[in-house]
Amino acid sequence: MKFKKQIFGFMDMLRFKKLVPNRREALASGADTPLPKEYRTNILAHKLHPGYMTVELTAIRPLTDRMKEYTFKRLDSDAFPFFRAGEYVSLQGKVGDSLVSRPYSIASSPREALANELVLGIENAGFFSNYLDTQAKVGDQFTMTEPSGEFHYENLRDKKNIACIAGGSGITPFISMAKSMIEGDEDYNMTLFYGARDTKHIAYKDELDELAEKGLKVVYVLSDEEAEGYEHGFISAAVMEKYVDIKDVTFFMCGPKAMYDFVLKELEPYALPIKAIHKDALYCGDRNVENPKTFRLTVHMRDLVYNIDAKENETLLTSMERAGLNAPNKCRAGGCGFCHSKLINGDFVIADGRDGRREADRKFGFIHPCVTYPSSDMEIDVPVAY
Amino acid sequence: MERVAAKNYDVVVIGAGNGGLTAAIRVLQGGFSCLLLEKHNLPGGFATSFKRGRFEFEASLHELNDFGSPEEPGDIRTLFRSLGVEDKIDWIRIPEAYHLITTDKKYDCVMPFGVDAYIEKMEEYCPGSRKSMTEFFELCNEVRDAQTYSNSVNGNTDSNYMKANFPNFIKAGSYSVNEVLDALKMPKKAQDILNAYWCYLGVDCDRMSFLHYGSMVIRYITRDAWMPKMRSHEISLAMDTRIRELGGDIWYQSEAEKILTDDDNKIKGVKLSDGTIINTKHVIANCSPHLVFGKLLEEKSVTEKMVRATNARTFAGRGLTLFLGLNKSAEELGIKSHNYFIYDTADTVKQYDLMRKIDTNHVQATVCLNNAYPECSPKGTCMMYFTTMFMSDDWGNVTEEDYFKAKDRIAEDMINVFERETGCKIRDSIEEICLASPTTYARYCGHPEGVIYGYETCDWDSLMPRMMMMKEDAELFPGLRFAGGYAMRSSGYSSAYVSGDLSGRQTVGDLKREGK
Repeated sequence: MKFKKQIFGFMDMLRFKKLVPNRREALASGADTPLPKEYRTNILAHKLHPGYMTVELTAIRPLTDRMKEYTFKRLDSDAFPFFRAGEYVSLQGKVGDSLVSRPYSIASSPREALANELVLGIENAGFFSNYLDTQAKVGDQFTMTEPSGEFHYENLRDKKNIACIAGGSGITPFISMAKSMIEGDEDYNMTLFYGARDTKHIAYKDELDELAEKGLKVVYVLSDEEAEGYEHGFISAAVMEKYVDIKDVTFFMCGPKAMYDFVLKELEPYALPIKAIHKDALYCGDRNVENPKTFRLTVHMRDLVYNIDAKENETLLTSMERAGLNAPNKCRAGGCGFCHSKLINGDFVIADGRDGRREADRKFGFIHPCVTYPSSDMEIDVPVAY
Repeated sequence: MERVAAKNYDVVVIGAGNGGLTAAIRVLQGGFSCLLLEKHNLPGGFATSFKRGRFEFEASLHELNDFGSPEEPGDIRTLFRSLGVEDKIDWIRIPEAYHLITTDKKYDCVMPFGVDAYIEKMEEYCPGSRKSMTEFFELCNEVRDAQTYSNSVNGNTDSNYMKANFPNFIKAGSYSVNEVLDALKMPKKAQDILNAYWCYLGVDCDRMSFLHYGSMVIRYITRDAWMPKMRSHEISLAMDTRIRELGGDIWYQSEAEKILTDDDNKIKGVKLSDGTIINTKHVIANCSPHLVFGKLLEEKSVTEKMVRATNARTFAGRGLTLFLGLNKSAEELGIKSHNYFIYDTADTVKQYDLMRKIDTNHVQATVCLNNAYPECSPKGTCMMYFTTMFMSDDWGNVTEEDYFKAKDRIAEDMINVFERETGCKIRDSIEEICLASPTTYARYCGHPEGVIYGYETCDWDSLMPRMMMMKEDAELFPGLRFAGGYAMRSSGYSSAYVSGDLSGRQTVGDLKREGK
């Protein structure tokens, strides 16, 4: 073929020749005003996702004999990010020579976050929560990760009516979800089933009564006490049937594993699709090993190398924290991938059902140290958290 | 806290996107030391995947063009071979080119790969198009050959050689897609169907250079498109692995904050946001000149020429992608194609204009990955992603409090448009849903305004003059080269890999010359 646009082919050639001079001229005649330092979308990205935040503990208040409420304000900004009710933050601090972090669901609402207040309800149930319970005081500073997590309502996926099932300190995300509904940021109708041993172990009773007046439906289910206005026993299908149409709600569950197992068994006969039930992720702790061995863990962090001990029954993340290494982590449940690290060599075991790695991570030897236990000496390459 | 890193590097690459990863491999293959810095905790930039429930979503790749089969490799497979990553990745072939649907003219056309098949199918949809389509592909072949020649001489083309061997390339080279298709007397309907790929380049066909479009279309149609099985994360990790094999270092969660210069305004190092300083004299930036000259480079070294040249350019589309994990198979839902382009209008100029605003934009490039790779999600499920772009900074008007609702509104519109135009009802089957907005792209990759396509390749700033000025552009600041979507080859996966290849090899050349 012979391509021709203008009458004479050489005119097309000439136009081609001008491409470079034209561009040269256009580049030279751009404005000499300073280049922007910020862009609106990037400012919003930073507001919603600041990464690590520096926070101060502003108030502590007991909720039950085992649970306290901790209120924080941000020091590096005048507001927490707006978030989706149901999400968690990872609270990180130093206990002795160890760095420690734990994920906790947020109890306060997204609107309250904008007023620079973020509240966590924490049960004394482990190393860090015991420290918080017995030693933390108003004025203490911590590092906190931005709100994250997939445990929240999705308008296009979930039913309009939701049934929330809380056990123990698992009540916290639902306080946030109820508030957010009443503040107009979420569109669901919420029925909350709150399981506790007895009335003494109900946290947030006053707040829930107040929320109930504004549209939240609350059903208390007590296992060890019979009282007027309270259901007795466990959160069984029979109890739930009294308040919701099980086939026409989306379930949100947060609580201990035993509660998940019980409720899932109760729901089994209904053959609900996977999408009908959302469970909040559970923290991955130690594993049971008789006479756990101690292995050598070599950790590369940028251009530094550390040789530390790693116990067979503890996650690689816990071993690194024990040694004071600043390793990244958020969910501590295997799912968020924030601790994504390169395996150089060694054998390991991943906690049951918690291998949240991508397919290619497995192929190319990447691990999530928050759910990985050593079963030999190991060498890994880990990013520096902050 | 300031701390100087233990090792000096010949080259520091900022950003482990497609361009940065490729550039780092090239530097290492050239025998020089290299540190790759990435602010996120994963390589790839947009080339990654993420998990929700029982689904692992592809974050961005629709299909990798110019890949070809092992026996007849395209340029990108050849590049991957030479980088030493081809064999590390399991590939699948995309079954058909595209399924075009337009709301205004009610087009519903499924186009195949292969020039003959494509022309044949076009003749079916638009009788009388055969001659112009045949000429179009002849012209495209010449375009591709001319570009292969240009790459082989690093952009230093000999004009007499060009005139003798690629006269049509030169004659068509200054015109837009529509100008050339009109000159070929292609029937309007055939033009509409042929122009379907335009959204992959993000410029309407009145302003898009024919050379750019033609070179892309020929690469798709003659060499098929391919995908890695484990999503683009597999490519990114294969490159990460290759860099480690070659003795390179990669630091994740390590954000470059400053490019440091000495008294003569020559690069002396890179400083991270935590104060760590890395000594180097060469930087390859896998990010935008807006970021480099506006923020990263020490202010004393920023010249008026840099500022003018950067301000002169126009941001291309800001990206948005909806991801759905569905609890029924593609077959059950009636989703037959792998790759849909759904437009309000076949008129690319009008469509581009509608894409300026969130409320008037209903364009989607939609993939059902199971129709290329059935095993990508569990049996009885399928996975879809819907991508669009905004041709202005309209998304910048979204407030923090309205953010989640704004995402829902767009997701709902995308689902409605797909259901209306294909008749496939998907809404009740949503098991997982997730939406990446321009804010998301800004968050993970740092691009201004959440731009995913670099600078617009149109009018004066189209592909060809960029390529021809590669050397001149690099003289703006010796020691610094660009890779990725903002670089000379413009955006898109293949282009970003090629830009990394070019900048990596050219930096090796710079280092060798310095050695003498």
